Amino acid sequence: MAGSFEASDGLSSRERRALETLLTRLGDDEFVLAERYTEWQVRAPSLESDLALANNAQDELGHARLWYDVLADVGLDERALAYERDPADFRHGTLVELPFETGDWADAVLRSYLYDVAEDLRLEALTASSHPKIADRVGKIRSEEKYHREHARSWLERLAEDDDGRGRLQDALDRLFPHALTLFEPAVPPRLGAKASENDVAKAAAVDADVVDLGLRTATLEELRSEWLSIVVPFLESLDLAVAVDRDAENPEADLDALLPDARGRDGAHTEAWFDLHDELTRTYRELGRTETTTIMEAPDG
Amino acid sequence: MTHDGTAGVEGGDLDDEANDADRDHGSVCAYTEYRRGDESPTDVPRTGAAADGLEEAVWDALAGVEDPEMPIGVVDLGLIYDVRVDDGSVVVEMTLTYSGCPARTMLTENVEEAVAAVDGVDDVGVRLVWSPEWTVEMVSESGRDALREFGLSV
Repeated sequence: MAGSFEASDGLSSRERRALETLLTRLGDDEFVLAERYTEWQVRAPSLESDLALANNAQDELGHARLWYDVLADVGLDERALAYERDPADFRHGTLVELPFETGDWADAVLRSYLYDVAEDLRLEALTASSHPKIADRVGKIRSEEKYHREHARSWLERLAEDDDGRGRLQDALDRLFPHALTLFEPAVPPRLGAKASENDVAKAAAVDADVVDLGLRTATLEELRSEWLSIVVPFLESLDLAVAVDRDAENPEADLDALLPDARGRDGAHTEAWFDLHDELTRTYRELGRTETTTIMEAPDG
Repeated sequence: MTHDGTAGVEGGDLDDEANDADRDHGSVCAYTEYRRGDESPTDVPRTGAAADGLEEAVWDALAGVEDPEMPIGVVDLGLIYDVRVDDGSVVVEMTLTYSGCPARTMLTENVEEAVAAVDGVDDVGVRLVWSPEWTVEMVSESGRDALREFGLSV
């Protein structure tokens, strides 16, 4: 039963919760990944790759803002969402919050690949969203995203050409793959100010079922995950990388669930790295009102 | 259009129907008629060629709003998808060339200010829309000339 999201007022509490939960996970993924990507500026292996990743970061930030914009209609302010929210209220998957291994470009391109394939699939599932503003944004975002996948794929192919590069990719894959699976976990409804309770965690799957039932997204998370696996596993295997998934196993779903990390991000539990990153990314905002400049040394006498 | 600082993050229990009903959603965004993405009009961007009266004055004001990076106005660039005038109340629908446009706030504020300064305009709403996606084909002929003069190949 598709809901009516033509008007933002008059939403039922079920509709509002589904909408907020969906948009928070979409916007937070993009916002946090953009923040991580910027760490590569002036550090990527070539000028071109530096610019490419900086550009991708700017794209993801723009996309985060497009999703947060829709939340503005239900009274949630973009600046508050980005800079004043408790870090525990973010609903991004842990894949996007993990720090890059120092100088490990394989980590950056593999992470981008795992994420961007997932993003394309979920955008496809938003094309016919029952929420007109969501549907309105999908074409623009997808047109910008296709370059991200091209960039990641071409780098993966280059890195996989020799043993050293492939070894780095394999390490990154072993480390990142469980976190990539969190992208397909149901999100605990954001309480936006209140602590999530165990009750909320149990509710996550039901709220995601509402997201689909109300037509906000037209595929389930299970369907998206299964599609994602059908794309990334053969591609990674074609590069002679070993993926920790046996798709012919008796119960592949249970195997995948067993791989999931303890903190999944979507459930409001995050790795320590997220809290450090959040502290850093909100620092300038918190210091907007400061009246004294930072000094790097004592003023010389006289 | 800017929602900056007008509303904080709301707390509260989403399970509480009564609490939910008390919230005032309407005051934050007054415009709720959205056009479906898959029913995108083919008649955008608009240029206001046939406008008269107050609407014409609004289009003239919009024509004077320049892109901050290139010597071209927002109308020639093809960013303006619709202008609706209802008495003194004006709604401008516009898009941007790029979702991550760093001049986003600047552009929407410049549009808002230019329209607000028109005699007879009481209030202005600027809405960003993203369908259909902007393409270089939406730039007007005179806009193309200006961009070529600037050194871009269009």
